[in-house]
Amino acid sequence: MDNIYKPELVEIKDIIDETPDIKTFRLQFKNPELQSSFAFKAGQFAEYSVFGEGECTFCIASSPTRPEYLECSFKLAGKTTSAMTKLNIGDTMGLRGPYGNSFPIEQMKGKNVVFIAGGIGLAPVRCIIWNVLDLRDQFKDITIIYGARTVSDLVYKNELEDWKSMSGIKTVVTVDPGGETPDWKGEVGFVPTIVEKVSPSGNDTVAIICGPPIMIKYTFPVLEKLGFKEDNIITTLENRMKCGLGKCGRCNIGSVYVCKDGPVFSYKDLKTLPQEY
Amino acid sequence: MEEYIVSLDNLKKIADELLNNHCRVIGTTSENKFKELNYAEELVLNPGAVPTSSSFKEFFFPKTEPLFFYKQNHSNVDLFNPIQDKSKIVIIGAKPCDAASLPIISKVFNWDYKDDLFNSRYDNSLIIGMSCHYSDEFCFCNDLGSSPENMKGSDVFLKPLADNYFKVVSVTPKGAEFINEYQKYFEKDLGKNKSLERKEENPKHFDYDKVKTWLDNNFENKFWDTAGEMCLGCAQCAFVCPTCHCFDIVDEQNGSCAGRRAKNWDACQFSLFTKHASGHNPRDNQEKRYRQRISHKFKYYMDKFDEVLCTGCGRCSRGCPVSLDILQIVEEINSLSGNSNSIQ
Repeated sequence: MDNIYKPELVEIKDIIDETPDIKTFRLQFKNPELQSSFAFKAGQFAEYSVFGEGECTFCIASSPTRPEYLECSFKLAGKTTSAMTKLNIGDTMGLRGPYGNSFPIEQMKGKNVVFIAGGIGLAPVRCIIWNVLDLRDQFKDITIIYGARTVSDLVYKNELEDWKSMSGIKTVVTVDPGGETPDWKGEVGFVPTIVEKVSPSGNDTVAIICGPPIMIKYTFPVLEKLGFKEDNIITTLENRMKCGLGKCGRCNIGSVYVCKDGPVFSYKDLKTLPQEY
Repeated sequence: MEEYIVSLDNLKKIADELLNNHCRVIGTTSENKFKELNYAEELVLNPGAVPTSSSFKEFFFPKTEPLFFYKQNHSNVDLFNPIQDKSKIVIIGAKPCDAASLPIISKVFNWDYKDDLFNSRYDNSLIIGMSCHYSDEFCFCNDLGSSPENMKGSDVFLKPLADNYFKVVSVTPKGAEFINEYQKYFEKDLGKNKSLERKEENPKHFDYDKVKTWLDNNFENKFWDTAGEMCLGCAQCAFVCPTCHCFDIVDEQNGSCAGRRAKNWDACQFSLFTKHASGHNPRDNQEKRYRQRISHKFKYYMDKFDEVLCTGCGRCSRGCPVSLDILQIVEEINSLSGNSNSIQ
């Protein structure tokens, strides 16, 4: 039987504590052949499982240009993520995927790219950031704008420093008002405000945006004002999913299944969908 | 091609042979329920009976079924596929509103990834449908392009004749093969047995195209604020429905280091169905969940799979504890669609 619901086994190779409630797992398939044959595109997601606890859905947070491992970042929120926080290096998990569509990297080539993320929304964006950086000469100017509620809620802190130090990349990190520490040297303000302040030109530019729904909602009009075309504003949705295979019936927005037709949508696509996400 | 008739007694003999050949024979019983028969005499075919309270979907898409089993010893994990029951499933006496459900839900189980749990049962099945001589205020198969004599989903179709006889129609190659295999039980139709006429034609209630057009343009409409207002969110409608196919995936631990992951029936009327771990819920009230139910059946599934996700059997309405009647709702949509001054 070809069992689409049975996961492959992966081993936790490394665990990074990103924030008090967010961790990143570095995973490798237990079957070395699978590790070398597993192919995915930036923006796709997977179903990760702890046996006896359940499955949950996260994007793949590492870049397809670095195929020696897979990474996922998750926030402690429910039953399975709570079980995941108790796992250690060397433990075994299940993984099904990759599922869904991907960021339109071909459409982005030869253009400027602006990455905008809030909170753990940096995870899917980080995947495409490294994908773009590993093919740096195929893209024009790169801007990264990232915000979290407080300084301690910022994820991938080391990578934020790496990006800041790279030439040809503008990296702006912000925290919500009140979330700053005395020694904070970044911006203070909500992401939409900071996007307006950084004011990247929408001319010949693709924006990739992911974060809390409220952040996305208020950033879209800012990007439109900056001259971004609707189909050059790309986001990724995270509806509740179980199967990831277009069957279990819960992730739909109107006639669209987020797990199959998404999770990546352009602002143009979103405007045709009912407001139910 | 020769035309055949079959007596109820001979149908039971066929059922008996099937049971002896280790088939799972599902038929209606004296309690008017679909049941896996233990012996052929349990079979009762009554074309004039109300549709059974539950559909037969559980024989293809069980209420709960294992996706796989696991055994865990520290970091060593073994996964085992469930043992597939390879028995042939034969359904006897499916009304058109039941038989049609299988090709409809087969589409979602096969549109890209193939669900072999469903397919292994459906592919290895034979559906003997039967025309329906029942109609009540909840029935509306006629409105969805079907009819009490529609053969969609049936491999063999029975039309009741006088004296406990049935005219036999071979619908698919699988059905023809079946008739051939059990030929000794079928008699040539000499036209002697009078066919049982239906008492009256089922009425038409709405124009599906009008309903679809309205749904295409009215995701936001005051109608939805009240349409599902009295829904309790108990989901009995989904569980008795022949086409509702939503499910949950749940781990069931058996002791500390073994268990199974199961696929269990679920329903869009439950408040937790779409709730994110963050607490955000895109369908955070019953009105939105009811809109989803109606829209999934009469719009989304059509957009995606070119089928209405409803066969008009009326079970959801007959069994609803608060008498929420899907036909009334669709009729209201139909009348809104016809009215250019519809409330916006």
